[in-house]
Amino acid sequence: MIMKRIFTYIPVLAAAVIAASSCSLFQLDNAESPKETIKGKVVDVETGDPVLTDQGSEGIRVRLTELSYGENATHNPDFYCRPDGTFQNTKIFKGNYNIRIDGPFIPIVRETSDGVPISDGSIVTDIKGTTEVEFKVHPFLKVEIVGEPQVSGGVITAQVKVTRAVSKETFKELVEPMGGYSDDFTNVTDIQLFVGYSSTMGYRARDTRWSTALEFGGDSFEAKLGEPVTIQSSTSTTIPSGRKVFIRAAARINYDTPRGSGTRRYNYSEVMEVNIP
Amino acid sequence: MAAVLMSVMSCTEMDLPPKNTVTDDDLLSNQAGMSIYMATLYSKMPWEDFKYMAQWGINWNGWLASLGIEGTGEALDRDGVCTSFTGEDTPYWSRAFELLRNANHLIAALPAYSGNYPEVTYNEFLGQAYFVRAYVFYKMACRFGGVPLVTTEIDYPGEESKIDLPRASERETWEQVLADFDQAAELLPVNPTFEGTANKYAALAFKAEAMLYAGSVAKYNETVSGRLTGIGEKTGVRVIGFAEDEWQDCSKKWFSEAYKAAREVMKSGKYSLYKKSWAKGDREAQYKNMVAMWKDLTSPENILVKRYEYPTVTHGLDAYCSPFIFRAPLCSGSCPTLDFIELFDGFDRYDDGYTIRVTDGNSNATGNYLLYDSPMDFFANAEPRLRAYVIFPGDVFKKREIEIRAGVYTGSAPIKPLLSDYSYSGANTKYQHLDIYTGSNGAAKKLYLSPNSGTNQEIVKIDGKSMNAAGENGPFYSNGEGNLTGLYLRKYLDEDLAVENIGEGKSDQPFILMRYADVLLAAAESAVELSLAGVSSPVEGDNMLEVATTAINDIRERAGATLLSGSLTASNESRDVVRKERRKELAFEHKTKWDLRRWRVLDENNRDGFWGEKRDSKEFSSGTQFRFKGLYPFYSSETGKYFFDESYQWVSMKTFGYNVVDYYFSIPSGEVSKSKYIDQQPNR
Repeated sequence: MIMKRIFTYIPVLAAAVIAASSCSLFQLDNAESPKETIKGKVVDVETGDPVLTDQGSEGIRVRLTELSYGENATHNPDFYCRPDGTFQNTKIFKGNYNIRIDGPFIPIVRETSDGVPISDGSIVTDIKGTTEVEFKVHPFLKVEIVGEPQVSGGVITAQVKVTRAVSKETFKELVEPMGGYSDDFTNVTDIQLFVGYSSTMGYRARDTRWSTALEFGGDSFEAKLGEPVTIQSSTSTTIPSGRKVFIRAAARINYDTPRGSGTRRYNYSEVMEVNIP
Repeated sequence: MAAVLMSVMSCTEMDLPPKNTVTDDDLLSNQAGMSIYMATLYSKMPWEDFKYMAQWGINWNGWLASLGIEGTGEALDRDGVCTSFTGEDTPYWSRAFELLRNANHLIAALPAYSGNYPEVTYNEFLGQAYFVRAYVFYKMACRFGGVPLVTTEIDYPGEESKIDLPRASERETWEQVLADFDQAAELLPVNPTFEGTANKYAALAFKAEAMLYAGSVAKYNETVSGRLTGIGEKTGVRVIGFAEDEWQDCSKKWFSEAYKAAREVMKSGKYSLYKKSWAKGDREAQYKNMVAMWKDLTSPENILVKRYEYPTVTHGLDAYCSPFIFRAPLCSGSCPTLDFIELFDGFDRYDDGYTIRVTDGNSNATGNYLLYDSPMDFFANAEPRLRAYVIFPGDVFKKREIEIRAGVYTGSAPIKPLLSDYSYSGANTKYQHLDIYTGSNGAAKKLYLSPNSGTNQEIVKIDGKSMNAAGENGPFYSNGEGNLTGLYLRKYLDEDLAVENIGEGKSDQPFILMRYADVLLAAAESAVELSLAGVSSPVEGDNMLEVATTAINDIRERAGATLLSGSLTASNESRDVVRKERRKELAFEHKTKWDLRRWRVLDENNRDGFWGEKRDSKEFSSGTQFRFKGLYPFYSSETGKYFFDESYQWVSMKTFGYNVVDYYFSIPSGEVSKSKYIDQQPNR
């Protein structure tokens, strides 16, 4: 009888439909987790010294783009260098990557204002197991704390020496073709003294109660390049005695990286520990 | 088997319109259908009113509705929603394209029904579609710069090359905005068929607003460190900013368009500033006039209004932003800042010209506090407009005195400033940390504060009588539901709503999306910008600076503010006069956050211009971060008088942050990765 046949078909059909659509429901996600490692360091092309930075979006940004997706690939989530200018990410999927960094140095990827490539210092590599890369860059400035900082009445006084790590001429030669060049780009605009309890001292970790800055209009800092400049922590809010703090000096020029981001990144000194008597 | 079933069911005629589907014939052929189409368009508009929170974006969510808390300095709130406008949780992208499709469909399909309507009505409906499209592109351009210019209804599914569109350049996007607003203004009548939809002058007024934005970004991108512009990686299109050889022409053109549009609205004579209960020289009447204007649907100032109606279409502003004593279930969502009220007339100042004087010293950190018999005495000469926007401590709201008191000081007078450091870096030291409050380090207790309301109030015995340390509304240093800044929002709250009727989804006062004062300010700002750029008046016979001066004075007169002493000039100082007036007049209307953005005064290097007038940004910020202040009234039991302390937000302190990249929101990453052409912002 035809009715009977319909009724026998329906459960079979339904079972088939469920079977066809539900096979993935009961399966475990057994895709391998990302476990390759990328390690890198950023060094001064002239001296081989590491480019010191701050870990955070104001520091050296590392951007990985997996290339097998084709032209349309979106980059991985950005991460940032450690204060000592090295970076590491141990959770990367195996693949072929473009690695690009941006920080307080002459952009490694340079193009004209119309988007015509001039120079591309980004690295393309397979990341498999542990892959190590090194970027040789032209940092803008070299920042040092000279001698021992003095402490008096909860106020730290430090001598900071700022020199150019890349000459104005080299800067101009490399940056001018990118368009919209101005001689003001190389002006040193400010020197910061970051103070706080964290041993990874920098812009992010600074305690705003004690940290201070010296600002310089136009090219007024030019004469002080290479000279020790005196900078004091806050005199209105002093550091309590008996504490141990960390200090770090930083300086920057009037040039944002990457271009158009408006973020002018600092070059940093080494971190120093200071006891407040 | 299946074939048998199919053949049984399909023997009748299949080529019939399904009865359960609404077709163009149903909707577009008659006015009743059109009213539904219009309702769809307008209900999807990206309006920013009581159903908009900057943090959440366009998703018509009225939960926690507050005004002016997105890092503009107008007001503060205790919650995470009080944060800088650097992006939206729901980016205005897919919803925009949905609405664009509705508008484009109307433009494409309506001509088939042109015979069904009188010409003027047909034009109006077409004009509505252009208005909607203009507004959507405008609001997208504000957020992202260049966007895909979808100006036709795209067949979907369809060929990939036709459905995946690249972003146009920012310049092309603003040109499209301009063309669509012009088209709308051309087609729309003076009196629209459906209430709540745009008329000709609404199109012109929004055009002025949009062109002011466009002209500003073209000009002020140049002031941003590193010239704010960039080329899309996939397409090579200048998706944000302008080329070095085009920005000046763009800026001049768009400011001219803003000026022309604003002037056309002004010259129509159809609108005027609301002055129904205003009286010359009568500050009380001027204040009450500006309280009444928000709810009065017959206001001659209203150009486009979003209406609400209890109990069907409602919002919850009063439930979230009323003073603490009226909490139902929340309160204190918009507490105006000291920095904001410093923009207004009627206070004594320190030598910097803007900081309100609270001591007899050279700054709020020095000298002795000035004493007042009652907190309201401090505001005796305050600009009437300010009193209409902000509830002062001790002023009356809903027939109750709004008691706001930070604490009681029992030491002797004269009284020195309570805190030792009033600078930005000292902002973390609060009153409850002071030795005179805690009694530590051998200090005698002289300061009484309350961590919370009710039984947690600290009690002070004064001459045998008990007094609560904090006011009825706080501030309470451990409860962000109390008052936060010493001030409360008054603007837009419904004073007539009975206390027992305050509640979520129980308010129905309207939101004014566009009003005449905005048009006057657009005319004034574009006039000064054009004069600065050396452009002659785009409207024949106009003396632009005279028009601007009159516009500012008209607004100030209505506000009870001091009139300009002379004419505005082609100078940055005059431009700042206009900007400051705009910041004051349009506060708490979801407009300031866009103004700060287009003036490019949010980032570290340009933040001196944040307040419209020049202020040293070091006073309220450090690096990328910034904070705002409160004005805290204390009772001095020795003298029986009040004094005020100015310090950074005492309760639930918020720190805001802004970077140059935030001037253009990032494109939703999913849209970038699934498209061959959609570019991410090049500076991200």
